[in-house]
Amino acid sequence: MASAGRTIEDRLREEYFDLLPEIRRVTDQLETEIRYRLLGISGNLGGHERLVVASRVKDCESALRKLRDFQEGSIFDVERPEPYTLTTLNDLAGVRILVFPRRRIEEVDRELRTAFRWEADPIKEDDEVLALKYRGYSPASGKIKGEYQVMSILAGLFWEVEHSAMYKPDVRLKGVARHPAMVQRRTDVMQALKAFEEQFEALLQGSQDA
Amino acid sequence: MSITAAKQHILDTTGFSYNFDRQIYVNHKLKKAFSIEFVSDNDEKTLMERIATKTERWQFNFNVEPSESVKRDLEAVLG
Repeated sequence: MASAGRTIEDRLREEYFDLLPEIRRVTDQLETEIRYRLLGISGNLGGHERLVVASRVKDCESALRKLRDFQEGSIFDVERPEPYTLTTLNDLAGVRILVFPRRRIEEVDRELRTAFRWEADPIKEDDEVLALKYRGYSPASGKIKGEYQVMSILAGLFWEVEHSAMYKPDVRLKGVARHPAMVQRRTDVMQALKAFEEQFEALLQGSQDA
Repeated sequence: MSITAAKQHILDTTGFSYNFDRQIYVNHKLKKAFSIEFVSDNDEKTLMERIATKTERWQFNFNVEPSESVKRDLEAVLG
């Protein structure tokens, strides 16, 4: 139970800043390891091909919001016997690998799966895999899990724009994203981006064969 | 399961609106709320049965029954 005068959110904010150096260590270690493991691919990309590795430390309010959203009704239970902890989140330390063209995704995934052997948790909508996602512990910490995602570059950049333009200004707006109408529209966009990339690749392949 | 168009239609036509901060469907007049998880995991028949039941106090239809303190906090938020 929360002590008098302090809310669960207050205690979690304190926990966040206690954990922050360790979260940063996990993020740095994960990004460095991934860049190293992908050197064989990134050093042999064609002129039009891309492989972008980007890391991020989840910010405090996003972490609190995510933990709160795990509770039905998005509300912390002050009578819960065991305290809430941010260490239950899988993505405090995250790395995203953006790839173009799509056929390179499989290659990147194979390389990283061999290196990490982490638990797979693909991002799906309507049974379609939108991004590959893995989580696990690294040598940098036994407490903070790391997470990495592998996806097409257009899908990744769309998510970044969606997040920064729509939810970042007010973290409460994140709940809008779970409304079925928004889920459907997001799926439509992802399918359109996929078709766009596949068409581009097909034309490129055709011109190389000609 | 998921939130199908049929479930969404039931909620829309019975006066429920989506509270994005709490991620619940709410009808203040009926004093009922459905979590997004409950709507996802239950069929249309269950939804209609829950909507049809009469209630004096707020009824929270969650997969996991909320504690009294959560109910109190949600009632305060929903008014």
